[in-house]
Amino acid sequence: MTNEQLLYLILLLPLAGAAINGIFGKNLSEKLIGTIGTLMVAIPFLTAASIFASFDNPIHVHAFTMLEMDTFRLDAGFKIDSLSLWMTMIITGIGSLIHIFSIGYMHDDKGFYKFFTYLNLFVFSMLILVLGDNYMMLFFGWEGVGVCSFLLIGFHYADKIKGMENSLAARKAFIMNRIGDLGLLVACFLLLGKFGTLNYDQIGIATILGEFQKDSVFMISVTLSLFLAATGKSAQIPLFTWLPDAMAGPTPVSALIHAATMVTAGIYLTIRSNFLFELAPFTQHIILFIGLATALVAAFIAMKQNDIKKVLAYSTVSQLGFMFVALGLGAYTVALFHVTTHAFFKALLFLGSGSVIHANHHEQDITKMGGLKKYMPTTHLVFLIGTLAISGFPFLSGFFSKDEIFAAAFGHGYLVFGLMVLAAAMTTTYMFRMYFLVFHGTFRGDSHTEKHLHESGSLMTLPLIVLAILSVIGGALNLPSFLAGDHAHWMNHFLEETTLGLALVHPHHLEDGTAIGIMIGTTLITLSLIFWAYSVYAKTNYPISKEQQFKGWAEWSSNKLYLDELYNALFVKPTEFISARLLMIVEKNLLYDSILKLTSGIQIGGNQVRKIQTGMLSNYLYFMILGVILFVGYSLYYFKFWNY
Amino acid sequence: MELLIIPFALGLISFLVPKNNIRFFGLVGSIIPVILTCIHLMDYMPGTWIELYRCDSEIPFGLTFTLHYDGISLLMLLLTAFSFPLIFLSNYNRESSQSNVFHALAFFMQTGLFGVFLAGDGVLFYIFWEFTLIPIFLILYWFGNGNYTILVKFFIYTMLGSLAMLLSLIWLKQHAHSFSYGDLIAANLTEKEGFWIMSGFMLAFAIKIPLFPFHTWQPNTYSTAPMAGTMLLSALMLKMALFGMIKWMIPLAPEGLECMQWIVIILGVLGIIYGGVIAIKQTDIKKIFAYASISHLGLIAAGIMLFSQNALTASMIQLINHSILSIGLFLVAEILISRTGTQDITQMGGIAEKAPKFAFWFMIISFASVSIPFSAGFIGEFLLLREIYEFKLSLGILAASTLVFGAVYMFRAYQITMSGHKENTQFTDLTWNEWLVFCVLGILALVFGLAPYLIGDLIKESAQQLTLIVQNNS
Repeated sequence: MTNEQLLYLILLLPLAGAAINGIFGKNLSEKLIGTIGTLMVAIPFLTAASIFASFDNPIHVHAFTMLEMDTFRLDAGFKIDSLSLWMTMIITGIGSLIHIFSIGYMHDDKGFYKFFTYLNLFVFSMLILVLGDNYMMLFFGWEGVGVCSFLLIGFHYADKIKGMENSLAARKAFIMNRIGDLGLLVACFLLLGKFGTLNYDQIGIATILGEFQKDSVFMISVTLSLFLAATGKSAQIPLFTWLPDAMAGPTPVSALIHAATMVTAGIYLTIRSNFLFELAPFTQHIILFIGLATALVAAFIAMKQNDIKKVLAYSTVSQLGFMFVALGLGAYTVALFHVTTHAFFKALLFLGSGSVIHANHHEQDITKMGGLKKYMPTTHLVFLIGTLAISGFPFLSGFFSKDEIFAAAFGHGYLVFGLMVLAAAMTTTYMFRMYFLVFHGTFRGDSHTEKHLHESGSLMTLPLIVLAILSVIGGALNLPSFLAGDHAHWMNHFLEETTLGLALVHPHHLEDGTAIGIMIGTTLITLSLIFWAYSVYAKTNYPISKEQQFKGWAEWSSNKLYLDELYNALFVKPTEFISARLLMIVEKNLLYDSILKLTSGIQIGGNQVRKIQTGMLSNYLYFMILGVILFVGYSLYYFKFWNY
Repeated sequence: MELLIIPFALGLISFLVPKNNIRFFGLVGSIIPVILTCIHLMDYMPGTWIELYRCDSEIPFGLTFTLHYDGISLLMLLLTAFSFPLIFLSNYNRESSQSNVFHALAFFMQTGLFGVFLAGDGVLFYIFWEFTLIPIFLILYWFGNGNYTILVKFFIYTMLGSLAMLLSLIWLKQHAHSFSYGDLIAANLTEKEGFWIMSGFMLAFAIKIPLFPFHTWQPNTYSTAPMAGTMLLSALMLKMALFGMIKWMIPLAPEGLECMQWIVIILGVLGIIYGGVIAIKQTDIKKIFAYASISHLGLIAAGIMLFSQNALTASMIQLINHSILSIGLFLVAEILISRTGTQDITQMGGIAEKAPKFAFWFMIISFASVSIPFSAGFIGEFLLLREIYEFKLSLGILAASTLVFGAVYMFRAYQITMSGHKENTQFTDLTWNEWLVFCVLGILALVFGLAPYLIGDLIKESAQQLTLIVQNNS
């Protein structure tokens, strides 16, 4: 098959899967639905891998022109370059594993076929997002994944207790994303106005070759608009509060959409638009600042969360903050490296937590777990690997990707570097607090649940094992030079080769001595924190009430810095207030009544006029004479009779 | 000519058809205009004017009688023709479907609408414009749970606007040889005259669209009207006003455009925000959709006033999309109201569980309403917002708030009614005719969302001609 056909295969199979499961799924067996759903993502993965194996030049496909306007046109066009190919492999690869996991996890759910329909639809939208060759296509995918996310967060909308809560979480996510979308919209307008096209290549070449001033108003507005979009989708300050709520969705959804793929769309957007961001150092500073703040704030909140999924959600927000720090420093490939390793270990952690939740009868409170190590050995092992990887334990995947970010930060300045290390230290702390509370000590739930604690089936553990292996070896993609010599930074080189603009931005590499120094330093911090967490949380008689009532800073952490309340008071309440006032004052009193008076006035007038029709001949005669006089008078005036 | 005669004849025959066959007759009969307009579409070359009928004999007072269409009119004809079977089908199992009078009135309405879109003479346009008011008023009065005050308000208010339009027409005639479209366009006006003539038209259109702050007749009228009446109003009758702006008001008095532009665009943008904000707190499902409609139409009206080829194309795409949406939304409202017995969304809940098919289609319509990609609304809204943004940055950004407000009120309405769990309630899922309507609407929205060029290519050249006329005359 030609490359063009392969691209259509990658794009359309998930759509076909969604269509088959959506239309016929009701009457099919779970096994068949699951198989179809998984295959429709796995085959695109294999296809992408086969393209990857012999990849040298970008592939362009122009599908059709959606609309030809006076001054520009909107094309449905696609492109495979190293960046989109890499994203495609992450999406379909991790996607297939999560599909397999879901067959086990969603077993016996009433909406089983719907779940797979939505998942396939999500993969389709995500592929449109990364494979499109212009911002319009990106916008299509961007909102498409938002819709799927909405549907999947609110998947259990009819739940007797939590139905409405789940729906609200879905709505919140959609609306906050929509605020970000305004940014994307404005960015599209700006780009269309300046370049007359939305095509990446055309804009990229125009900016690279054109003589654009750095930090011009145009560049700053475009990049800030794009970044606003990214903060919405990738859950950065100030638009991150939807992501923790999005955990209302089933756990595989959290793993696929809200950890591994969709939330990295903002990072993809920034890397894709690197040629614009490079011309706006001001925006890059903002990104650096926001990323850093998000990494710290989210890590702080994660310290005292008791819901296992909330901890992971805040951890995701924090890790996304790490990626934005890298982007702010201009280290695009480093950010994508962390996207990749994060996809491995965070998907692993989420699926692992899914396995834990599954075993605990859908209990998510870690203070009601404990000692699960002996009941679920496989889950325990892979969860430990995931925790170690995210904490940056030596030679696991997270170790290398975080280290690259540290190196970039080190080149920028000690303050940024110091704060990054602090955020990483908090990561280790809250991750191991959770790990020890869940798997060590003694079980604290009720006896009924304890009796039924069990290891999950092989459909669920198999993807976990694959992800665990990837989390361990993922760092090999981009080894530092003192470990791999000439083969170092393989991923950087791969991306730079065909992604427009990246070859012009060289990430800052430290000298071997400094790099090793940073590695040893951070490793020591990590190890000592793990040891500390072990000594506090792993004890069998750890007083759990300490983790249920918080004082001082812990109260702020467990209440999420009161951000939801703040947003409510600042935005939601005032809007509702204005709405009610407008309705009362403008709509009812001002407009409605005045028009009613007008129309009823006319009606009354009509009734008065009707009274003239008395039926008495003399009255009619008077009116006739009056009419004649008026007519004659008007004629005299009109023909200027007196002039003759 | 047959486009006028056939619906009128169908209306007359409707009186003769036996009562138990009337709904079938209505449905099948309404297919004939669809076929007729499709034949016209096949033969149509984009950018040309097609004359259907011309009366050559002398008529006094400068009146003429011509029926003609260009791409934009043809699109409106198609919209009208296709809407009727859908409306009849939605109405198939409701009370009014058993009525001969209802079908007759609806066909008369169609005659009037065709007349408006075909008219090649100012007075003819006015006559058909006013003519449509009679059947819709009677439908609202006889088949709604009509509050007389609300209806009379609606009737007088729109009549008042039309009167202003008539005055403008007569004034314009002072500067032209006759009332024929060509002569009226050729008239030369000063900027001041142009502005006042335009104001007359604009008042009529602003009330009908309705544009903020002329909209107060609408929420109450919608809320008490029968479903078919609301659909006719929202999907077709309001569109007459938008069509009138494009084809009549602006080309006739382009001298006033520059001044009027600002007023209407600001009102439009205000309406976008106002409608959206008010809809957030409404509890009457029909009123939510009514305010949503004010919000959507404000954007289209603002887009039309920019009167560039791009803006016109975008407006027409969004206009078609809005018609698709309003049929869908008001069918949703009717289903909810007739099966729960209340218009108050806070008293509904947990419906999705009982009626999954309905929930699915309500969801699709909601998505189309917040204009997500792959639905016709996305491209239309994107392009319209872009045009307003190019006109004035701040207005564009304000108008774009519709993205957020739209999502807030639409999903609030959806989730309060559909999500959650409610014991001891019954809710029948979709009947075949409702399902069919939703399917057709869904497919149309998807097709126009992916291939908006289907609309764009049909009207682009006609839009260009209009913009050229306006440029040369102003």
